[in-house]
Amino acid sequence: MKKPVKFPALTLSALAIVVLAGCAGQRETYVVLPDAKGQAGALTVTPREGQALKLQGAYASAVGKPGSAPVPAKLTEEEIKAAFAEALSARPDAPIKFTLYFREGSDELIPESRKDFDSVLAEVKKRAAPDVIVVGHTDRVGLLQDNDRLALRRAEKMRQELVKLGLPADSVQAAGRGEREPLVPTADEIAEPKNRRVEMLVR
Amino acid sequence: MDYKKTSGLSALIGAGLVLGAGQVQAQAAGWVGQVKVSRGIVQFERAGQRLPAPVGLRLKENDVILTEANGSVGLMFNDNSTLSMGPNGEVVLERYAYDSTTYLGAFDAFVKRGAVSLEAGNLANAVPESVRVKTPQAEIKGQARNFAVNVEGK
Repeated sequence: MKKPVKFPALTLSALAIVVLAGCAGQRETYVVLPDAKGQAGALTVTPREGQALKLQGAYASAVGKPGSAPVPAKLTEEEIKAAFAEALSARPDAPIKFTLYFREGSDELIPESRKDFDSVLAEVKKRAAPDVIVVGHTDRVGLLQDNDRLALRRAEKMRQELVKLGLPADSVQAAGRGEREPLVPTADEIAEPKNRRVEMLVR
Repeated sequence: MDYKKTSGLSALIGAGLVLGAGQVQAQAAGWVGQVKVSRGIVQFERAGQRLPAPVGLRLKENDVILTEANGSVGLMFNDNSTLSMGPNGEVVLERYAYDSTTYLGAFDAFVKRGAVSLEAGNLANAVPESVRVKTPQAEIKGQARNFAVNVEGK
């Protein structure tokens, strides 16, 4: 009589193991990371089932399992860095921005900015798969439409120089912002050398 | 004065003007990003084909990026958002739309498995929650520009 009683118990525990293994099959971790300046925001984790969870601040973390709401986790900064070590080390280098200035009403760089163009090239050469975004700007002298054209012409000139030097054409994008985004805000019709520029983002 | 003579516009500039002066022209013919880091075995799937994903590869919406046990990969998108992933990972670039003039758009990545870290770019300048990650169990978004998600197990 004792043996038949044991069988259902064994079967149940075997079932429990199978169920647990199923749950352990997928575990998710969610983490807020700080930016380069140490700033971090809030993150909301909304599960398919159960209540959403808000994570606030650097290295706040939570763990999710199938069929239940995510729960806050007490992972340390070290544990998080270890868990994401390979992913974090594969982050692309941050883009670097260069600002080059132009002669008045022209797409000719001023002499000082010629040297900065060499720095752009050096940064391009440093990168394995570089691409560059060039955005042209003007000061506020003249008509908006004319400045749109001039801004784009400045950006295009730089784009063409990069392509001439061997950067693939589809790796350089040029755009003009006209007088809309002055570096130094001025009233209309004010000549401002610092606003006659292109910004080149090497990525 | 800082005006330009309208005469003598090159054909190239003319082509750019058609799109409007404030717009980045030639958003690289539908490319949404590029592989900047590729270590070990990294592959991508597009239109049912699986191929190696070397540094420099241009990415499209709906591409799937996969890493083997020795693989890791770093992607940069048109808005400067980045996504990097460690070994045994699989991520689907479900949706990527970006207007370089307004910074409006959306980026949805589905992390099927693996450890993935994200840094939101210009998209988040316009709308903080426009860079989102989905996993088998949840959707993750927020004001945080930097975050990470790990999907472990099968």
